[in-house]
Amino acid sequence: MANKILIIDDDNHLRESLAEVLGLEGFDCLEAGNAKTGIASAKKNMPDVVIMDIQLPDSSGFQICQELRKFSKDFILIMMTGRFLSAEEKTQGLSLGADEYLTKPFDLQELSIRIRQLLTRKGK
Amino acid sequence: MTEAPKKRGRLFYKFLLIFLIVSLVPLGIVGYYLVNLSQITLNRAISRDQEALAVGFADTVSSYIINFRNVLFDAAHLEDFASMNTPKQQGLVSHIMQLHAAFLEISVINADGQETVRLGRFVHETRMRDMANDALFMKVMRAGEFIGGLEKYMGSYPAVTMGVQIVNPVTNQPVGAVLAKMSLTALSSLLKTGFPETTHTQAAVIDSSGFLIAHSNSKEIYKPDAKLPDDVLKILLQNDAKTGSGEMILESTGERVLSAFAEVTELGWVVYIQRSVSVAYQASDDMLKRTWRMMMIVTVFVLFLGYAVSLVITQPIQALREAAIKLGEGDFDYLPDLSMPNDEIGELAHTFMQMSESLKVKTVEIMSAKTELERLNRSLENRVEARTRELKSAQDELIKKERLAAIGQMSSVVGHEIRNPLAVINNSIYFIKTKTNAQPNPEPKVLKHISIIESEIRQANGIIDEILGYARTRELNPKVMHINAYLEDLTMSFPVPAHVEMIKNFAPENPAVSIDPDEMAQAVRNLIKNGIEVMPEHGKLYVRSEVAEGNMVRIDVEDTGCGMPKETAEKIFAPFFTTKARGTGLGLAVVKKVADRHKGRVEVTSVVGKGTCFKLFIPILQNPPPAPGGRS
Repeated sequence: MANKILIIDDDNHLRESLAEVLGLEGFDCLEAGNAKTGIASAKKNMPDVVIMDIQLPDSSGFQICQELRKFSKDFILIMMTGRFLSAEEKTQGLSLGADEYLTKPFDLQELSIRIRQLLTRKGK
Repeated sequence: MTEAPKKRGRLFYKFLLIFLIVSLVPLGIVGYYLVNLSQITLNRAISRDQEALAVGFADTVSSYIINFRNVLFDAAHLEDFASMNTPKQQGLVSHIMQLHAAFLEISVINADGQETVRLGRFVHETRMRDMANDALFMKVMRAGEFIGGLEKYMGSYPAVTMGVQIVNPVTNQPVGAVLAKMSLTALSSLLKTGFPETTHTQAAVIDSSGFLIAHSNSKEIYKPDAKLPDDVLKILLQNDAKTGSGEMILESTGERVLSAFAEVTELGWVVYIQRSVSVAYQASDDMLKRTWRMMMIVTVFVLFLGYAVSLVITQPIQALREAAIKLGEGDFDYLPDLSMPNDEIGELAHTFMQMSESLKVKTVEIMSAKTELERLNRSLENRVEARTRELKSAQDELIKKERLAAIGQMSSVVGHEIRNPLAVINNSIYFIKTKTNAQPNPEPKVLKHISIIESEIRQANGIIDEILGYARTRELNPKVMHINAYLEDLTMSFPVPAHVEMIKNFAPENPAVSIDPDEMAQAVRNLIKNGIEVMPEHGKLYVRSEVAEGNMVRIDVEDTGCGMPKETAEKIFAPFFTTKARGTGLGLAVVKKVADRHKGRVEVTSVVGKGTCFKLFIPILQNPPPAPGGRS
């Protein structure tokens, strides 16, 4: 059974293209356009990996991270950002339970390899 | 002392003028009046003198004539003259003529009018005349005596006839007469003696009809029609006064003369004296001249006196003035000698000396205060300058920081906004590539364009990285490094293309530095990358380290590229300045930023056509921990 990945990003193109690419790599992708639907989808579908943008219209990636960690320790949480993150931001994200950071644009081959490694580490 | 104020006159001349006015004007007025008065008086006196002369001469004339009459009278009244016989009378008469040369003729006439004796000096007539009807004889017989009958004897010599009665002493009755003609030329001689030609005086005697009896110029008298000028005669004959004098202008010559006249008593004659005014008033003129000369001498004397007095008065004032000028120039040490007279000027000088003393003290105080003020001013200026410099550099720093912050903020936003679409493109092209590759015979051109797009995405991303890297402000994270090992690691990991030969030469001292390895690596990499980029075909890239200026290590990155002109070298570290077709112009700006953040600096030297050398100076760390083993 293919691993499930939830992508939360308000940028439709980015979200869709990423889903298509990961689909090619053999992942089963879910999409959400904002934090609220994203969290609801994660709780309902229980994906293995959640990839989220740090900045969302109704919330931030950090809050989603916090929310989902409370709900389950099993999620692999990956944060995406378009800009450099300061050391504080990185520390904050990691303390809230983020597993990986991605700086846009990212090497997709590398991304799929990283996801598989994380999945292997979690024993999925 | 600037320009001297305009002089409003000198005291000296004022004094002189005052002296002159005070002394000369009254003197002049008095002198003028005196001279006038004297002249008038003198002229009057001269006039009177002349009148007196005329009167005196009239007396003389009278006495002269009367004297001769008396001679005749005495003879005729001799006791026995009447009773004398003719020869005896003739003898007496002859005797008289011998005694008195003036008698020209003497006749004795008896009571019947018959001439009994007739004697002439020049004419010897013996024929006796009948004088019974003679007017003169009759006058004598009637009046007792007679003087008159003026004539020109022999046509030229003025003569007068005088007659006296012969009286019988017993009966006291006239028994005849003696008539005598006498010459008057002696009067002319008398006048000539009294008024010689040299005196420019003319004197004359005339009778009441204007007959010229005598003249001081004997030539005049011998003229057949001799007489005085008509205008003179007119005055003399119409005048009733016995004496008189005055000035008149002669009609004939226009000469101004002083005239005087006097009547000769008993005879009815007039004595007239005339002198030229210029001669007459010579004395008064002389006096006038002398007076003027005196006035001139007095004026000159007063001028000199005034000059001397003014000198005496103004000299101390002049000295004071010089002293004041010296004082004005600030020369207190040399002041002119002000030993002054014991008067108001002396007092002024004394006051002046006191003032200059007090001024000296005050000036010294002011000068020291001024010096102190200047010193304070200078120090204040220096401090203000230093402060201004500090402020300026702080301001520059602030502006730079603000600008960098603004750039950072903008770049961050732009970077983020571009990275999203870049990510989408990246995803999409990955999808297309995967799909294409999955086909049995993928189109080669499609694959080529896919790889072009991928390359451009990487380049765009690199630009964003550069911008964000320059704009990013993060805390420096310094670590102690030994320069040789650090540079070795850095250059080893740098992908140098084959056409470039990298030559490394590191400082034997292997100094320790405190640097942020990531930032410093970015800077050095930028320099190496730059060097490689300017040598597209072949070239050498030198990477050196050297101890410089004692406390610095200098990292050189030198290429053998095309070099650049000075104008370019000056701007090369400015952000966004680039000469490349593609480039953000931030690479060297980052180098400079890193150098600044490490309290170092970066320099560039370049020779067009030969190459460029970047020199990165970093402070050497003092008292570093010992170098790890291995390379040194």
